[in-house]
Amino acid sequence: MLDKYSLRVRFALFFALIAVAVPVVITVALTLAAQRMDDNPVSQLVLFGGLASFALIGIVAWVAQLFDTHVARPIVTVSRDLQTLMHANPEHTVDTDEARYLGVLGPTVREASETMKRLRSDIGKEVEAATKSLDEERVRLETVLRDLNEGVIVCDLDHRVLLYNRRALQALAGVGDLGLGREIFSVVNRTPFRNTLERLSNRLSSGRYKNHPDHLMAPLVFATRLGKTILQGKMSLIIDEAEESPQGYVLTFSDATEQISKLATRDKLLREALEGFCGPVASIRATADLLVQSPDMPVEVRRGFEAALSQDAADLTDRIVKMTDDYRSIKTSLWPMSDVNSANVLSCLSQRYRDHPVLRCDVSGEPCWMHCDSSAIIELMDHLIRGVLGYTGAQTFTLQAAMTGNRRYLEIVWKGTPIPASEIDSWLSEEIESGVGAMTGYDVLDHHRSDAWSEPVDETHARLRLPMPEPDTEHSQHVSGALPIRLEFYDFGLLQRQEAVGDLGARRLRDLTYVVFDTETTGLEPSNGDEMISIAGVRIVNGRVLTGEYFDRLIDPGRPVPARSTQVHGISNEMVAGQPPVHEVLPRFRDYVGDSILVAHNAAFDLRFIELKEKETGVRFDNPVLDTVLLSAIVHDHTDQHTLDAVAERFNIEIPEEKRHTALGDSIATALVFVKMIDLLEANGIHTLAEAQEASEKLVQIRRRQAAY
Amino acid sequence: MGDSDNKRFVLVVDDELNLRKAMQYILEHQGYRVDSASDGNEALVKIKQNPPDLVLLDLQAPTCSGYDVCQSVRADQALNRVKILIFSALGKDIAVEKAMALGADGYVLKPFCTADLIDTVGKYCGQGEIQNA
Repeated sequence: MLDKYSLRVRFALFFALIAVAVPVVITVALTLAAQRMDDNPVSQLVLFGGLASFALIGIVAWVAQLFDTHVARPIVTVSRDLQTLMHANPEHTVDTDEARYLGVLGPTVREASETMKRLRSDIGKEVEAATKSLDEERVRLETVLRDLNEGVIVCDLDHRVLLYNRRALQALAGVGDLGLGREIFSVVNRTPFRNTLERLSNRLSSGRYKNHPDHLMAPLVFATRLGKTILQGKMSLIIDEAEESPQGYVLTFSDATEQISKLATRDKLLREALEGFCGPVASIRATADLLVQSPDMPVEVRRGFEAALSQDAADLTDRIVKMTDDYRSIKTSLWPMSDVNSANVLSCLSQRYRDHPVLRCDVSGEPCWMHCDSSAIIELMDHLIRGVLGYTGAQTFTLQAAMTGNRRYLEIVWKGTPIPASEIDSWLSEEIESGVGAMTGYDVLDHHRSDAWSEPVDETHARLRLPMPEPDTEHSQHVSGALPIRLEFYDFGLLQRQEAVGDLGARRLRDLTYVVFDTETTGLEPSNGDEMISIAGVRIVNGRVLTGEYFDRLIDPGRPVPARSTQVHGISNEMVAGQPPVHEVLPRFRDYVGDSILVAHNAAFDLRFIELKEKETGVRFDNPVLDTVLLSAIVHDHTDQHTLDAVAERFNIEIPEEKRHTALGDSIATALVFVKMIDLLEANGIHTLAEAQEASEKLVQIRRRQAAY
Repeated sequence: MGDSDNKRFVLVVDDELNLRKAMQYILEHQGYRVDSASDGNEALVKIKQNPPDLVLLDLQAPTCSGYDVCQSVRADQALNRVKILIFSALGKDIAVEKAMALGADGYVLKPFCTADLIDTVGKYCGQGEIQNA
């Protein structure tokens, strides 16, 4: 029954019991003594009995207080320290000063904690060594995913995202929030996915996939949720080891909008050409026939027809000029090509000759980006190099890229004289390895709308030049961009997650998806006109803080930002000027949160600001909420220091000064704190969301009662 | 100099007979002396026999491409005063660039109007009639 009370309260109750029992026993004893005495010393007995009782109660209270200071509180502190050490912060030091009255317990606990740290360190080293190769593979996977030219998304059967790569994120940027553990339908239309998944599942269950040319893969074309972008790709089913049931699917895709748009433009050009040329050509033909067949036509009439003929020819020329310009604006051909860096193409090519008996190729010069089918270009250049070797006997080549104005070139340079165009023409007419069947060098060049020729570089050197199309997008020389290099791109642990559980409350805290958020405001009184000026959030999925999937927006509060609050969070009037207002930002944040559990440090404060905007924004958050202030008070009840700084320090989490008091910085810090708290909550018997909410609620009740007194 | 009769000499190389005839007529009308060839090999023979002031060269000339003619002329020191203008279809930037790299001096885009042709030829080799000082 007493389990629900803390150790210190239980000890206090024992002493209270003694304090109550002492006067009762004395009263009973003195009453019995009075009955056996002849005279009537009741007043004396009451007087001295009362004094003795009060003295004894005082002594018991004093001993109880000493006991609390010397025994109960040190035991609680040492226990909490041990819990923190075991579950949250391996570097935490057990404060044995507090336990100095507990005899050998203090030194023993310190010794045990040091031993534990040492053992943990040893185990850590072993684990580190054992997982090193695993980490390397992970990095390799991440690198491959990052640099893949196609978007990749892996989903479970509920269409929840388990993995995505940078290209997928870029392709779907601006549509919605692609995120681990979320349904892919937050960014794409659902029908093609459902249909294709059903088709593939049927193919698997019927066993047809074994003889199917595409096995467990099917092509699909789909649109983003707002229909702005058309994507085409392939869905491949992931199956269990027994090859009986599907587990999820892999989606690879690329943006087809541009390609489809180019096709449409070409189609339009062709139609216009056919329709547009008919008129002038018919007129020219009729006029020319008339002039030829009517030699005796009067001179004046003949001149009129000749002028008309000349005008029609000029019109036709104008149409051709316009059509050529339009055609040139469709920059690339429909052959699959991508932006590549010349350094990658040329290095790959030069590697081929590492073991060649005579051929040597060095890569030189400044690399540049170009748009090409790199594989076909490598094969073509290889073919040309071997041609030059055979024709001139040159064995040493320099491979380089060059830029002149907007034009980009790949060049093969050798010591010697240029090759005749007719010779190169014969090489380009030969078939080369292309990976897609027989193709000539000219086929490859045609796909790139290019050509190749040889010319002198200086008096002793010649080169072969291949003009290359410009890249589709501007690239810096270093791979970078708005996105961090290392994102939390995948979590296959989600695959093992139970099927959707209706009752969130019964689910384990570590299995839930959270959005930890924070706001910055103009002041502390939302009901007196203070407004949000920044809101940020970060997701936690399967116990991992996904720092790459963050939400971070400034908000124009529609009122001045007081200088004193700018001093706290660094957000000034200039910074919020021109930012979207709250009724634009909150709906986006609502989308970002989805059905996640909300977590915040002092959540009531932030929620109050959001709640007051409910009418204006039409946004309502009915998600479950956890407050890390309350959770901290549950797991660290030996202290009343529950500010974010204090809690973070206890968990050995460093908040960079420049990030402190920014909505995103505090969100991330709170998220890291919360993840560590989950371990401590479990150590305190709190495993599920319902249990965490119940414990928080109890604490709120106690605080309300304390506040009432 | 092309000829002793004070006319600049132009060689037109194109496999389209009608176009060849038309250009010959237009240029002769402008005071040039004009000869023509229907393919690259014939053009090279004529250029070497009697070097013209200007060659109007279609890149798609059969048997020996316009590029080969450019390279052969530029490889022959005796022909270093011969100017070469190539005909290129619209939108063939790379073809023009390739021809210029291989020795052409300028280009005329097809389809062209008579005035443009006369202007460009005049720009590269002067008026048809040579004015004696």
